[in-house]
Amino acid sequence: MVTMTQHDTESPATGSDVLVVQDLVRNFGELRAVDGVSFRIAPGETYGVLGPNGAGKTTSISMIAGLLRPDSGSVHVAGQLMGPRQVGPKALLGLVPQELAIYPELSAAENLRFFGRLQGLGGAELRSRTDEVLDIIGLSDRAKSATKEFSGGMKRRLNIGIGLLHRPALLILDEPTVGVDPQSRNSILESVEALATEGMSVLYTTHYMEEAERLCDRIAIVDSGRIQAEGTRTELIRIVGELDEIRLDGSGDIAAAAGALERLPAVEHVLTEARTLRLTVREAPTAVAGIVNAAGQAGMELADVEISRPDLESVFLHLTGKALRD
Amino acid sequence: MLRQLWTMTASDIRLRIRDKSVPIFGLLVPFALIFVMNLVFGDTGDTDLDAVTVAAAQQDSGELGAVVVDAVTEVPGIDLTVTDVPASEIRPLVEAGDAQLGITVPADFTENVTGGQGAQLKLIQGESAAMEVGILTSVIEGVTGQFAAAAEATTAAAGLALPPDEAGRIAQQVIESEARVSAVEGRTATEQLGAGASIVAGQAGLFLLFTVGFGVLALLNERQQGTLARLQAMPMPPGLVVLSKALSSFILGVVATLVLLTAGSLLFGVSFGAPLTVLVLVLCVVAAGTSLMFIIARVARTPEQAGVMQSIFAIVLGVAGGAFFPITASGPAGMLLDLNPVAAFTRGLGISAGGGGLGDISQPVLIMLGFAVAALVVSRLVPDRGAAA
Ligand SMILES: Nc1ncnc2c1ncn2[C@@H]1O[C@H](COP(=O)(O)OP(=O)(O)OP(=O)(O)O)[C@@H](O)[C@H]1O
Ligand SMILES: [Mg+2]
Repeated sequence: MVTMTQHDTESPATGSDVLVVQDLVRNFGELRAVDGVSFRIAPGETYGVLGPNGAGKTTSISMIAGLLRPDSGSVHVAGQLMGPRQVGPKALLGLVPQELAIYPELSAAENLRFFGRLQGLGGAELRSRTDEVLDIIGLSDRAKSATKEFSGGMKRRLNIGIGLLHRPALLILDEPTVGVDPQSRNSILESVEALATEGMSVLYTTHYMEEAERLCDRIAIVDSGRIQAEGTRTELIRIVGELDEIRLDGSGDIAAAAGALERLPAVEHVLTEARTLRLTVREAPTAVAGIVNAAGQAGMELADVEISRPDLESVFLHLTGKALRD
Repeated sequence: MLRQLWTMTASDIRLRIRDKSVPIFGLLVPFALIFVMNLVFGDTGDTDLDAVTVAAAQQDSGELGAVVVDAVTEVPGIDLTVTDVPASEIRPLVEAGDAQLGITVPADFTENVTGGQGAQLKLIQGESAAMEVGILTSVIEGVTGQFAAAAEATTAAAGLALPPDEAGRIAQQVIESEARVSAVEGRTATEQLGAGASIVAGQAGLFLLFTVGFGVLALLNERQQGTLARLQAMPMPPGLVVLSKALSSFILGVVATLVLLTAGSLLFGVSFGAPLTVLVLVLCVVAAGTSLMFIIARVARTPEQAGVMQSIFAIVLGVAGGAFFPITASGPAGMLLDLNPVAAFTRGLGISAGGGGLGDISQPVLIMLGFAVAALVVSRLVPDRGAAA
């Protein structure tokens, strides 16, 4: 677990920030995919961007990495202005794209060496770094196999390895655990934790709340191209205040129950997920009896009722009225 | 930056060779095709030859001039009409297509030959019946060559008369060996390759378009497999990626074309002339082909689309360039054919095979380079559909 030793989260970011993103806007035709995104990452910090599909995470990353030109706004990496033609700031970044970006015909070692050379590494340094990274991503014993024979998780790990080969000042990981088995996922998270402990700055996007909570010093909650809230986990959860979550599992007329519960004064939000209703509730311990009653009257047969403290999902639900994942 | 360019280029070349696409489509397939087509079309002894009209201007009052024209009429297998016309009418007749070959025997022909100054004839070749005319010109060359040799031996003019069957024998030799080496001057005259050589040259030009096309496919492939995004995030100018694709295409194209020409000429006994001239022609045609691929790179959205477009370009230019059979046309269509880089390449090889040097290939070279520049300009102008996808 990464602890927050280096940063007082209240302190405004200074000129030493590895990344300063200001008012990024990007449209695709009528659609405003990124709508005024601003944030900063301090050296050694792990910064999370938590948001659902289509929130604008990858579009923001593309502008930060200089792959896409923003319609307006700016990105500075260690004080240097980033853009598609900027070579200097690109050398400071290690990008791990959301989509796999490896050559299937090449072996793991060949992939690493190829991109390492493009990053300016060579000779003994390239060789030793390749071995180190293969070790970090746990692929030393498969270094010479063509990557098209790799499992999905192995490919993901190699995808990450290429991004850290040149010891970037800022490692950018765009949803690195999507479509990965639990074991590979855990090893990816451990690698990121280890890198953060060594002092590498990390920008990590995900739609898994647990990943953001586990890895990140600070988290931005994004939806519809905007940062809805930003802060440490504790700060974010404070937004929800005294709101708790009550989960109702059951059968019967769930839709009618949802409608009835929404009208209760203690209930802030109701979210229907198949046979489960998730309620954001004020004063859960006192409200729960009324809620169970109302659900029953509306025709829902309850199988299970659960009260929990709020987490980042509750925060997201509170801020957007939507679930983080569908 | 150069190191990065070379890293990408070298990796690309290695991948293309490793996935066997270039060895197969750049070398093996064209070679097999050349071989088969040579079997089919190369055996001109079985081919039906067209009727040919020869316009002859006999200005020589000596005996040798008559022998030349007689020798032509003796060629077996060709339905030949010889019309006697004034020298000034020969060019118009040939250009109008009323005659396929014009022969002017100058007034001092016999005198020059017997005087040991060599046999000088003026031949004008039309654009049709290339094969028949090629045979005739070879016969004439054989005859005049014998004259020259004989004159050098200071044999008496009277003793030089060629026995009638001798002309037939030369013609037969020519047909069998297909060595239609041109001794002809005039617009298209020195630009004719023999049937075998044409096939080798045309096929090399056609498949070159496939070979360079792999660079474009590679680029679209990088986009599809996600590596393009990563390359664009590398600390190097964005144009370097495309440049490396062009460079690897160019290198592979040059190597494949040179190998094809060399192997083709060794196996089928044809010669394309001075290596340096051939190399310049190859560099130019590969440049033209490579730049054409930039258009495809922008218009195609997927590797599949690019593959289809590439095949269409290759077949159209290849066929029009004579990769399968000689194509000739006059007027605007002919001009259009002339602007085809594959045709220019074949024509350039014809000039070089006929003994032309660097100075003689400027026209085809300009056509090929002009094509390369035009294609690059067009590729800048067409919308980049692939990037939008
Ligand atoms: N090249 C493009 N052309 C048109 N629309 C695009 C393009 N790229 C992204 N979009 C749109 O912009 C919005 C944001 O997309 P983006 O990929 O940034 O989301 P994301 O947060 O990364 O989502 P996910 O979690 O699914 O990766 C989406 O509505 C998407 O459809
Ligand atoms: Mg994304």
